[in-house]
Amino acid sequence: MDGKDLTKKEQGAVESTRNLRQVTPLVDIYENDDEILLHAEMPGVKKDDITVNIDNGNLTLSGVRSIVHDGAADWEEFGDVEYQRVFSVPQTIDIKKVNAELKGGILALHLPKSEAAKPKQIKIKAG
Amino acid sequence: MFARMSDIDRMFDAMGLLRGRFDNIFNEFDRTVGYGPTWSVIGNYPRTNLYDKGEQFELFAEVPGLSKDDLDVKIQGNYLEISGTREVKTPEGYRAHRSERGSASFTRSLTLPSDVDPDKVTATLNDGILVLTLPKSEAAKPRQISIN
Repeated sequence: MDGKDLTKKEQGAVESTRNLRQVTPLVDIYENDDEILLHAEMPGVKKDDITVNIDNGNLTLSGVRSIVHDGAADWEEFGDVEYQRVFSVPQTIDIKKVNAELKGGILALHLPKSEAAKPKQIKIKAG
Repeated sequence: MFARMSDIDRMFDAMGLLRGRFDNIFNEFDRTVGYGPTWSVIGNYPRTNLYDKGEQFELFAEVPGLSKDDLDVKIQGNYLEISGTREVKTPEGYRAHRSERGSASFTRSLTLPSDVDPDKVTATLNDGILVLTLPKSEAAKPRQISIN
């Protein structure tokens, strides 16, 4: 064992110190010849509170819900949460053209395929 | 035996993680368990919050993906019923890889702590949250009593 091992911190379990609970959003994933389409359910999340990161083949969706209310709670079945989910995206996605829209608490994420990955019809010439 | 410092580090990491879980154990009430289509399993759909603001109640309901035409709200006295249908269709020309969000129709009835005035109820739908403002009926409103 050399000296380095004594001080090197190995990658272990990292505790998140943020108090916001993380919830897995339900998703639907669709595909056609041009793109992959992802629908994620994030009720109560505002457009500006959503981040979509693509890094090293991982797509990270994150949306923070903070519901503004006042008055005394008679009951509370849902609270402020962070919706978070990570997907691996294939190499064939054209990252520059990814776009997203939010409507009625559903995030629609369009992941277009790069030209090289689209299916092509090969014409056979008569010889 | 802990031969290396990193082993000890790792052990404390794991203990910290466990402590974090215990800290959060009581507010995990709305975590979606597992990855499956949990829609059908959840008994009280949609989930609601009710706040008492003195003159009125405010009710929040989680209804992602529903438009105002899909929802129906009925009120009688202190009885409130929210019903609706959600349809999740595969978009035209696409094939589905994963569908966790199911189609369903639902009805949920709630008993409010006091009567409300059904004529003055307003409802808004924003980002998948339905907000109902329910003014209390005259008899149920808090009243200032002047002392002579």
